[in-house]
Amino acid sequence: MLKINHLSFSYSRKQPLFKELNLSLPPGNIYGLLGKNGAGKSTLLKIISGLLFPETGTVDFLGYNPGVRHPDFLREIYLVTEEFNLPPLSMKGYVRFYSPFYPRFDHNLFDHYVGEFQIPVKQKLSEMSYGQKKNFLLSFGLATDCKLLILDEPTNGLDIPSKSQFRKIMANAVHEERSFIISTHQVRDMENLIDPIIILNEGKIIFYRNYEDISRKLSFSRSSEMPNEKEVVYYEKVFGGYHVVSENDGNHETRMNFELLFNAITANSEKINEIFNN
Amino acid sequence: MNLLPVFNLQRFWLLLKMELFRSKKGILITFVVTFGMLFTGFIIENVFTSHRTFDAHPVNYALFLLIGGFILSSMTFHDLGNPLRRYSYLTLPASTFEKFFSMWLLSTAGWIIMFSITYTVYTWAANSIGHVFFKKMMFLPFQPWSEIPLMCIRYYLIFQAIFLVGAVHFRGYVFPKTLFALLIFAMVCGFTFYLIMASVIHPDTECTKACNPLKNKMILQYLHIAQWLLWWILAPVCWIISYIGLKEQEV
Repeated sequence: MLKINHLSFSYSRKQPLFKELNLSLPPGNIYGLLGKNGAGKSTLLKIISGLLFPETGTVDFLGYNPGVRHPDFLREIYLVTEEFNLPPLSMKGYVRFYSPFYPRFDHNLFDHYVGEFQIPVKQKLSEMSYGQKKNFLLSFGLATDCKLLILDEPTNGLDIPSKSQFRKIMANAVHEERSFIISTHQVRDMENLIDPIIILNEGKIIFYRNYEDISRKLSFSRSSEMPNEKEVVYYEKVFGGYHVVSENDGNHETRMNFELLFNAITANSEKINEIFNN
Repeated sequence: MNLLPVFNLQRFWLLLKMELFRSKKGILITFVVTFGMLFTGFIIENVFTSHRTFDAHPVNYALFLLIGGFILSSMTFHDLGNPLRRYSYLTLPASTFEKFFSMWLLSTAGWIIMFSITYTVYTWAANSIGHVFFKKMMFLPFQPWSEIPLMCIRYYLIFQAIFLVGAVHFRGYVFPKTLFALLIFAMVCGFTFYLIMASVIHPDTECTKACNPLKNKMILQYLHIAQWLLWWILAPVCWIISYIGLKEQEV
């Protein structure tokens, strides 16, 4: 569905952000794009959406070059950015003017998502709260039935019930011809939702594995004593003990801790990749 | 880069409808302010003038068509001026050509037709009111197909293209920035022209069609070429620059 080959991009000549980046995303998944601030997550999403042009390399989405911004490409991709600006229209007005650009827009589905998110239908978009606006855009994006929905920090500004609602809706909306890319640094919000996990660090993809692989190869535990550094992959001190990531020696599956995994990978990606490559 | 335009009439119509709807408030305010100013000027002129004939309609038409149109053209791609609005504008499923053409059409044909119709209706109303309150005055009717309006439309179509380039390339304060750029360009052209022509034209030389000091000189050919370029090439080049500028927009 999406193939990125030898992508290079930089904002300034001295510091390239991406150098020879390769990535392939088959359809039917909810990809979690994780990374620290400034890792290049948003830039990568903008390149995929055709909002930034790569210096070298190619991006191919269903046969389209995003940089051309062909209408047939644009109707198959929907981007919900962290910050956004909505026109001074009512929700009905917005749908009336924007939905005809998406030929597969499903009005019933849109109404369903609006109901699920409890968005006030009669309120003007400009009068809605940040979270309501975000949920509105998400409902609209899902109703377009686009092949790739890109969400940049989707849970920022959402209250706790909205976050769980978000996870529920996203998990039900994905199907084999459609994918979501969720970029976030709030990894806890994405637990039980994203699979595979892609970790971007300093413009490089340092980790790209699915949930099953991770559970098979790594185990997550809590220890009251400080673990031996040589025996574990990563550990961090928490209140009353230690969170530990170690190589999974048996077939027992432990509950994955995304935040711990992320910290382990960014701290010691070589060791983790070595475990996966064995 | 593929520069071939993609065009779909149905999508283009959707885009036009959306742009018109989104800018309806701005258009309404522009028209109310413009014609409010024109009518106030009309009344003041009739109260204080010593003339017996009111013939300012064609000049006012020219002035307001040009200034109003240039301001409107500067506002065409206002979504590009804001990074957040730029996201949604650039990802809206319509081709760059459709986006460019919709704005071009609204700021050229759209503005000329709407302004001309409203101005003609305004002159009927203003002249009728004038007849009632200023009985000694004679009010000349405004004819949209006469020489001055048509010449003015021609000027507008050419110079409007420059403001379209400004609208695509400048971020915010497009109208003053474009005016400033034009001023700098005019100064450079004027200075270059002076350097070339200073030795040919003396301070006491009078340039008329009959007695042209440049007659039989090579420079006259260049001037004719420059004139031709201005009338026939400037606007299309500006449109192409605007289109490419829009195509190359990033966030």
